[in-house]
Amino acid sequence: MLQLSGVCKTYGPESGGYVALRDIDVAIADGEFFCLLGPSGCGKSTLLNIMAGFEPASVGSATFDNDPIVGAGRDRMMFFQDAGSALLPWLTVEENMRFALRVRRIPKTSWPDVIDKYLTAVDLAQHRDKFPSQLSGGMRQRLQIARALAVEPKVLLMDEPFAALDALTRRRMHATLLDIWQNTGKTIVFVTHDIGEALILADTIAVMSVGPESKIMQLFRLDLPRPRDLADSELRKTAANIEALLAPEIDRSEARIA
Amino acid sequence: MASTGIKTAPASIVSVYQMRMASIWRRHRSLGLTIMSLILGFAGWQLLSTFVFSPFLVPPPVRVIRTAIPMLLSGEILHDVLISLSRVFVGFITGSIAAILLGVILGRISTLHDLVDPIIELLRYLSPTAMIPIAVIWFGIGEMSKYFLIFWGTFFIMLVNTIAGVLRTPIARQRAAQCLGASQLEIFAYIVVPSAVPYIVTGMRVAMASAFMSIIPAEILAADSGIGYLLQNSSMLLQTDRIFVALLTISVLGFLCDRALRLIVDLTLTRFTLPA
Repeated sequence: MLQLSGVCKTYGPESGGYVALRDIDVAIADGEFFCLLGPSGCGKSTLLNIMAGFEPASVGSATFDNDPIVGAGRDRMMFFQDAGSALLPWLTVEENMRFALRVRRIPKTSWPDVIDKYLTAVDLAQHRDKFPSQLSGGMRQRLQIARALAVEPKVLLMDEPFAALDALTRRRMHATLLDIWQNTGKTIVFVTHDIGEALILADTIAVMSVGPESKIMQLFRLDLPRPRDLADSELRKTAANIEALLAPEIDRSEARIA
Repeated sequence: MASTGIKTAPASIVSVYQMRMASIWRRHRSLGLTIMSLILGFAGWQLLSTFVFSPFLVPPPVRVIRTAIPMLLSGEILHDVLISLSRVFVGFITGSIAAILLGVILGRISTLHDLVDPIIELLRYLSPTAMIPIAVIWFGIGEMSKYFLIFWGTFFIMLVNTIAGVLRTPIARQRAAQCLGASQLEIFAYIVVPSAVPYIVTGMRVAMASAFMSIIPAEILAADSGIGYLLQNSSMLLQTDRIFVALLTISVLGFLCDRALRLIVDLTLTRFTLPA
């Protein structure tokens, strides 16, 4: 269970600083696929960074399995949009995997099996000797997934992981990710600004308001089987509800610019 | 039918010949242009020194080469070249190593960096040439003063580049490694230092060029050997052809050293310069 209670995040001085997040309460169950959805600048990445332990909450508590989150933990693996900078470009696909296993202190004897297993799972086994720069964007993201899974975290924290991919590749990545999620039972916290993406993937969608003082406006539970079709009537109804919720938010953020 | 066959045969031979020439040109275009550029340069130089300038002030290339051959054969040039090169290398290698070691530390410890940075910012405007007078007093005109001056020039270029490389290590790469379970030391050794390599390599090429520019004034003002000394000595004796031999040697030497550095980098560090 990943739990945030009463979390606020302020940048700058304690009073008069920029309040990014205000009174965030979330509880994410083990094995849940949880989407944080909101327009740009709503603090969803900040929230994810607090869950990862990269940034502390200014107020409130963040716990994982009842232990306070202090710094990056091995049970919560962050997954980045820019695979090129998250991976090690000077190492081959296989060497990137080995790097993860080395720093995780996994016994060397099990490396070949672990590497084979996860590279096969993301369909990269035949590209193990290539460098990341020789792969396509989708393949680089699959390598990032394989590397994350190899160290067997309990939670995957994903920050708009597929936003930079073309639409077709993104659809395939959704299928791959759902496959892996269903086979491994990991908890996934997935940040996105794409309503369709959230509807296809999530058990729970938390819709966030625009900052400053972003909060979670509403939770949508989706109890539909996967693979899902966006033409499905219930999904369309939910999409309309989310859009109605977000439209004034976007107006508000644009009004502030003017 | 037969006549058309005869007519087309020479035409096709010509076109085959043209195609072959075109393909040779495509493959060796840059080499061809380089050779042409050098030929044009030498021809222009020859014309200028024959018809425009006095051949005493600008000795024509033919005379420069005629002067160079005995200097090459007697080993005189080689002797000076080796002395200058050894000075460049000692200063360059020690300066690079010291700067890389300090640079990665300063790049990681921001308080220390902010404390030391103002001093660096002031000192790096003191070119090696500006340091010659004090270097002569500190170290005399022996090898040590030249090592020091090349070290000085190399050190600040390499330091600034190394710090920049360390600071620009993508935050995502460090955080991903942190999640995987890497310790601070592992992040430093496996992530930060390799990420800085492209900046360090660029710094080495700039510093190498700077070292070649610094060694000459150092040897002109404070040496009794080396290419700079050959320049100075020939100038006092008004031997312009020998001056030109020395100038030509410096150009070729600098060029060859840069190519050698690039080759070494390509052979050893290519994977660290791959795009992300």
